[in-house]
Amino acid sequence: MKSIVVPGEQIPGNVKSGNVYVEEGKAYATVLGLYDEEGKRIITLEGAWNPKMDETVVGIVQEAGRNNSYTIDLSSFRRGVLLLGKFSKAEFKVGDVVEALVDRVNGKKEVILSNPRLLRGGVVIKIKPTKIPRVLGKANTMAKQISELTRCDLVVGSNGIIWVRGENTALAISAILRIESDAHVSGLTEKIKEMLVNNTTKRS
Amino acid sequence: MASKANKPELIVGGKRLDGRAFDELRPIKIEAGVLKNADGSAYIEQGNNKILAAVYGPKEVFPKHDADPTKAIIRCKYSMAPFSSLEGHGRSGPNRRAIEISKVIREAFENVVLLEEFPNNEIDIFIEILQGDGGTRAAGLTAASVALASAGIPMKDLIYAVSAGKIGEEVVLDFNMIEDNYSDADMPIAIAPRNNEVLLLQMDGSLTKQQFEKAVDLVIGAGKKISAIQKDALREVYAKIERKYENKE
Repeated sequence: MKSIVVPGEQIPGNVKSGNVYVEEGKAYATVLGLYDEEGKRIITLEGAWNPKMDETVVGIVQEAGRNNSYTIDLSSFRRGVLLLGKFSKAEFKVGDVVEALVDRVNGKKEVILSNPRLLRGGVVIKIKPTKIPRVLGKANTMAKQISELTRCDLVVGSNGIIWVRGENTALAISAILRIESDAHVSGLTEKIKEMLVNNTTKRS
Repeated sequence: MASKANKPELIVGGKRLDGRAFDELRPIKIEAGVLKNADGSAYIEQGNNKILAAVYGPKEVFPKHDADPTKAIIRCKYSMAPFSSLEGHGRSGPNRRAIEISKVIREAFENVVLLEEFPNNEIDIFIEILQGDGGTRAAGLTAASVALASAGIPMKDLIYAVSAGKIGEEVVLDFNMIEDNYSDADMPIAIAPRNNEVLLLQMDGSLTKQQFEKAVDLVIGAGKKISAIQKDALREVYAKIERKYENKE
């Protein structure tokens, strides 16, 4: 059972970690979120992206510097930095869409990226970063389902940028945008499947 | 303008000019998430007040020398639209009054927002009075609080503000414009409802100790209603989408 909590609301029972404020042994929510009783956690509904190690991100090359270093726009207040060094063979141009992993966040709040991969063609969409876990689904089920039913390649960046390329990009994008707005509804995977199947069968 | 000479009768037959009881709020309506481009937003109607609040951030501070490496900074801009009220408010940019209100609202929020989570960043709060009818700083703060929550900014509490004051010897809650102009004392108070911490308190005029205590009691009593409306506004954004599915099935 999940219920919506607002800042300052007392949480019945305990919470494992994050998004709470403890005073006199009682826990209060600090963000607008969903309280998950079974998981004992608060899932944020809005807010900024908080980078974690080894997360996949998608960004756009903003600036190319010396020694194969790049500034990447991650659509966040944190700037992405890609330091490849002169011995690397990879080379990017300004405006390229890049998929990479988060290596670390340095003292200047820059996100240092590694393992870059160029994404050719396709469409880039931006959604709220808090809704990304829902777009991926449990064990990536939701993302797999969208990619199979629309025959699209998807790269979902945890920073809120999603890259789509393939046969039915329009349908894939409308499904993703619907997940963004309806993320708090339960049983969404089934509902999105229904939407995708209905739309693909109508066309063929 | 307000003066003792042309003071109207503000209490007639035990009721106020708009028919309210002494401890009665004006009707309040709050809507969250009204602006698509902002990270968080809210719209409030409190009586004839119509106020929009928008929140942007956390984002990088510019100019950079204003940044604090230990915590985020809050910037708040309260402004009255040129068409917002009968007097000449807002016609020549920010005035002394607007700058003062921006400052006190900012300081109220600095106590509840968890600034340490976003070092070197800023959170912008914009409060735009579309139509003013007394008590706009309090209503603006109430709306800004909802806007901050809808932007997902971590806070200790969802704060509210409302004014109380004195007409003659009667302690009265939530002044409108005419009561504000001719009242004997006016005191806007912002409160964090979790532990009733006072975050903003200003006063024009004078109150005795008993009257002051009564005014604070009225504010805290009315605050329960305001808090409930604020929470409902935030929940409504998501409930609306859930209802869409229920109707389909």
